Amino acid sequence: MSALSRSPVALLGLALVLAMGLIALLAPVLPLPSPTATSILDTYLPPSAEHWFGTDALGRDVLARTFWGARSSLAIGLGIVVIGMVLGVSLGLAAAEAAGSLFEELAMRLVDIFAAIPVLIWAIAVVGIVGTGATQIGPVSLSNEAKLVLLVGVLFFPGIARITYGLALAELKQEYVDARRLPGTGSAAILFGDVLPNILSPLLVQASVLVGIGIIIEASLSFVGLGVQPPMPSWGSMLADSKQTVFSGEYWLSLFPGLAIFLSVIGFNLLGDGLRDLFDPRRRTRLPKETA
Amino acid sequence: MPVLTRLASALMVLFVVSAMIFALTRLGGVSPARLVLGADAPAESLAAFEAEHGLDRPIAVQYLAWLRALPAEGFARSYVTGQSVNQRLAETLPLTLELVTLAFVLAVVGSVALGSASAYGENRWPDHAVRILAMAALSVPGFWLGLLLMRLVGVQLGWLPPVGVIPWARGVWPHLSSLLLPALAIAIYYIGAMSRLMRASLIDVLGQDYTRTGVALGLPARTRYVYTLRNALPPFVSMAAMSYGYMFGWAVIVEMVFNLPGLANALLTAIFQRDYPMIQAIVLLITLVFVLASTAADLIQRALNPRLAT
Repeated sequence: MSALSRSPVALLGLALVLAMGLIALLAPVLPLPSPTATSILDTYLPPSAEHWFGTDALGRDVLARTFWGARSSLAIGLGIVVIGMVLGVSLGLAAAEAAGSLFEELAMRLVDIFAAIPVLIWAIAVVGIVGTGATQIGPVSLSNEAKLVLLVGVLFFPGIARITYGLALAELKQEYVDARRLPGTGSAAILFGDVLPNILSPLLVQASVLVGIGIIIEASLSFVGLGVQPPMPSWGSMLADSKQTVFSGEYWLSLFPGLAIFLSVIGFNLLGDGLRDLFDPRRRTRLPKETA
Repeated sequence: MPVLTRLASALMVLFVVSAMIFALTRLGGVSPARLVLGADAPAESLAAFEAEHGLDRPIAVQYLAWLRALPAEGFARSYVTGQSVNQRLAETLPLTLELVTLAFVLAVVGSVALGSASAYGENRWPDHAVRILAMAALSVPGFWLGLLLMRLVGVQLGWLPPVGVIPWARGVWPHLSSLLLPALAIAIYYIGAMSRLMRASLIDVLGQDYTRTGVALGLPARTRYVYTLRNALPPFVSMAAMSYGYMFGWAVIVEMVFNLPGLANALLTAIFQRDYPMIQAIVLLITLVFVLASTAADLIQRALNPRLAT
């Protein structure tokens, strides 16, 4: 954490991410009107002291909807990356440990194939085919949001697996790994106990940027009606609703949810950029070296 | 034969993707017969419909039959709309191709210009301005930018048509101008990503000893620009080629925003009608473009950098 203070970029990103996270967490306890309460008398009110972000076509409070929308957007964006990280890191580590084996070959081929699937089209098609709404798989009932996280998260694993694989392969050549193996320490203990902590920084950089992309994918899916389902508010579906007002000019309907996406994504991108600069030893020592 | 292996793996990707989509359409959800004939159709007519369209056979058999018909006949007729899938694709693909190609041109031109300005003015104001701009471009959701541009440039200023597409018949400029805003909405992310790469790559080349020697020997600025750009290009070209494939994904969303009758329209209609043959065809088509783009990226990379070819 103290290292973060040396990077104003990372700090700004962290501040934005934390602010959005707080909004998401606190939305239910803040003194806001219900995000789904309609009011026929209050449709299309411009921003005012009473409705800071105005109201929409059904008289719902846009501020409340934007704040509540943070919950699904951030949860889904993070969830996608968690699924991708769990799958990608495990596969990448296992493939690196099994270097030279058939398993390594098969695993990395699998990664190549999944990496060649265009994420957004796949997400739209698969969510469209499986359908929105809860699905019952055996004893488990998957909510629409959980399904979305699983289906898109799977496509995030190849990139993470490749990076993990490359980093782990280099790390496993270190002498300390051989020293750890001598007393008979198992593969899993070395991979998760030694290798993973040592390669975590570049993975976190990647994860941070991927959360931003995850948020945009969620918003895109909700925009075309395949993401978070009404009446639950989501930034993407709010933007879809705002399309009707492009000609009439109720700008607040598209401005605020769009800004919310923009600020969250730029937060994660800045955090990723800042962390990369901090973790990259070449850049850290760049100034003294160049003057030398 | 690295080229042949590359092509073989591209083909493999298409097989796997088509098989997965096929399996999903058959395993997931409701029988197409139920969707076409309605909720209270009797069991006999459902069975008859399934038999007629071969839906009662095992999935693997259906998949192989579909695959076998592909080279000669293309995609089958949709059993939801009765429309030929080939014909629907022929109607909608050209517009999407045009849109994505225009977006691609914007992204390449924009990012070379911005990336160069940034690299040659490193740590001075052009660099700072471009870096902030690129970060914003990377983070703005393209379809939201599309909505804003539509409102500002299309409706309030009236400079460009806000929605829909003007046909070629009414002139080249009117046609292209009607695609400019959606193309920018698709390109914006790649302008950000590619100008960052261009900048990093150029700064790397500018720091090389041979560049410094050239400058010390009095190489004119224009020649220096051409030489350094040429050497900075390989990673950029590779990313640009990949981005062409990715842009089809964003095009789907952006076509929705601007009411363009392209592939997106066809895909989303097919999804809401549960028109599986249509969904399969479109996903396969876009995956094909995507795979071709990444294969091209690889091959161009090899051609530009002979050291990779071995």
